Amino acid sequence: MTVATLTALRVDRRRRTVRSVGVTTALACTVAALFVLTMMVGSYRLSAGQVIASVLHLTDNPSVDFVVRGLRLPTALAALAVGLALGASGTIFQQLLRNPLASPDFVGVTSGASLAAVSGIVLLHAAGLAVCAYALGGALLAALLMYVLAWRDGVSGYRFILIGIGVAAFLDGLIGYVLSRARLTEARQAMHWLTGSVGQASDTELRFLLYALLVLLPAAVLLQRQLRALELGDDSARALGVRTELSRASLLAIAVLLVALAVAVAGPIVFVALIAGPVANRLLGPAAGGIAAAALTGAALLLTADLVAVHLLPVPLPTGVVTGAVGAPYLLWLLATTNRQGVGG
Amino acid sequence: MTRLNAQGLSLGYDDRTIVTDLSVDIPDGKVTAIVGANACGKSTLLRGLARLLKPRAGAVHLDGVPLGGMSTVDVAKVLGLLPQSPVAPDGVTVADLVSRGRYPHQGWFRRWTDSDHEAVAKALEATGTAELANRPLQQLSGGQRQRVWVAMALAQDTDLLLLDEPTTFLDINHQVELLRLLRRLNQESGRTIVAVLHDLNLASRFCDHIIAMADGSIIAEGPPVDVITAELVAKVFGLACVIVPDPVAGTPIVVPA
Repeated sequence: MTVATLTALRVDRRRRTVRSVGVTTALACTVAALFVLTMMVGSYRLSAGQVIASVLHLTDNPSVDFVVRGLRLPTALAALAVGLALGASGTIFQQLLRNPLASPDFVGVTSGASLAAVSGIVLLHAAGLAVCAYALGGALLAALLMYVLAWRDGVSGYRFILIGIGVAAFLDGLIGYVLSRARLTEARQAMHWLTGSVGQASDTELRFLLYALLVLLPAAVLLQRQLRALELGDDSARALGVRTELSRASLLAIAVLLVALAVAVAGPIVFVALIAGPVANRLLGPAAGGIAAAALTGAALLLTADLVAVHLLPVPLPTGVVTGAVGAPYLLWLLATTNRQGVGG
Repeated sequence: MTRLNAQGLSLGYDDRTIVTDLSVDIPDGKVTAIVGANACGKSTLLRGLARLLKPRAGAVHLDGVPLGGMSTVDVAKVLGLLPQSPVAPDGVTVADLVSRGRYPHQGWFRRWTDSDHEAVAKALEATGTAELANRPLQQLSGGQRQRVWVAMALAQDTDLLLLDEPTTFLDINHQVELLRLLRRLNQESGRTIVAVLHDLNLASRFCDHIIAMADGSIIAEGPPVDVITAELVAKVFGLACVIVPDPVAGTPIVVPA
């Protein structure tokens, strides 16, 4: 073994560690800045200092506190939490299935949540927390259905995605049927839920999501090592000493819970889970697959989308409309390029 | 008793049993080739020896302990495997891929250490891929890629190394190059190497020990000169042939009759 090779390896490793830490830190700062910024703008403009002081309970100014803590903080927190959850969940799905198209948006999990929530609103006249619970249950049931249908012989990326698209189409058809049976007020409410908006989260839902994130995100980051081995195929992973079934089931459970909770809280906000991972990978360098970076990218995307949706457009729109408008062209680009390279799965 | 051996081993997928009641000792410190016709169970046997398949009956023992009773990480420190079709993540560089071979030596929180760097550097140099370290795997030729995968298995730093059809899809030059590499790894570090191979002539030339399989059982095993005979080739492959000595090394060469 020569010293040159060893030095080159050390330099390469250090360069990648620096890049990964640097990118993740920069993303965290961006998210923090956006988080504060969303609470500054609006019909009642505030300075960054006022917002930070109010959030941290440093000052006592009732009118500022009412606007910040009462009105803007819940939405900002929801955007942050939902973005983190969608970003982490999306990249885990994509890496586990080795396919950039394997976002929870497409494999039926989101549709399951939507069907359950819409049925709850229309058929059972549910509202508030109950809708959130239905959505959560629906997402988990859809994930279970996918698992039963597609997971028997381990995973092959395309098979899973094709079955996912089939399941999603079936569930979407059922959503259409349920909506057609709805009365006008309920249909409006259901449609609003279906568009997805971080503004609709209630305090209880939000708190639940935040506590869940505190457990699920660190667990996902810890399992990153296993995920990097699983990416090499089941045989290689097992040869390297990974308990493949256990690791995959844990990662999948975390990813499903994250997306299910996010959808339950904010409705189906499309494309964030699809885009966050690839954008983070662009920043980190090829095949880095940082879950923390992807989660932060998801949060940054969603906070930006919320800023645009609520403040920059002449008429405030639900967040889901903005993410959809940005995400759809990206999806087309992804489909076009993966086909050309022939490495879609 | 050798370090890696199997007794009464039965292996299969779903409702098909492919290998039945097979016992084998993998000779220590030698290069062994498993040969046989397509679908004779040679890859299945290799996967069974590497604990990728759970035995239906019987057991594989590594250093006297049944594989099923060892933690999979402990096995991975002693026994490495290069599967038939490993998958590379998009855009992964050679250095990144090879360093993933260090998985079993790293813990939940353990940082990258000097011994990890050294093992990766050794693996890259042994396979002649050190100059490619920063290149994306997808840009390399088939032969280079295969050497990188071998490097990843080497970085795992195991005494035993199993390879499932490592020469498939390589041209003759790269096949010979890869087998020379395995031979050298065996001679330099005394590693036990087992490879599933298709080419009998190359297997005879580069391996110490040949295991010939048909229909899920071992038909013959031993040094190439003893195993590769016209009768055996007729029995295992159904091919009438003449065996002549290799003009360079004197090992048997199969010439269709």
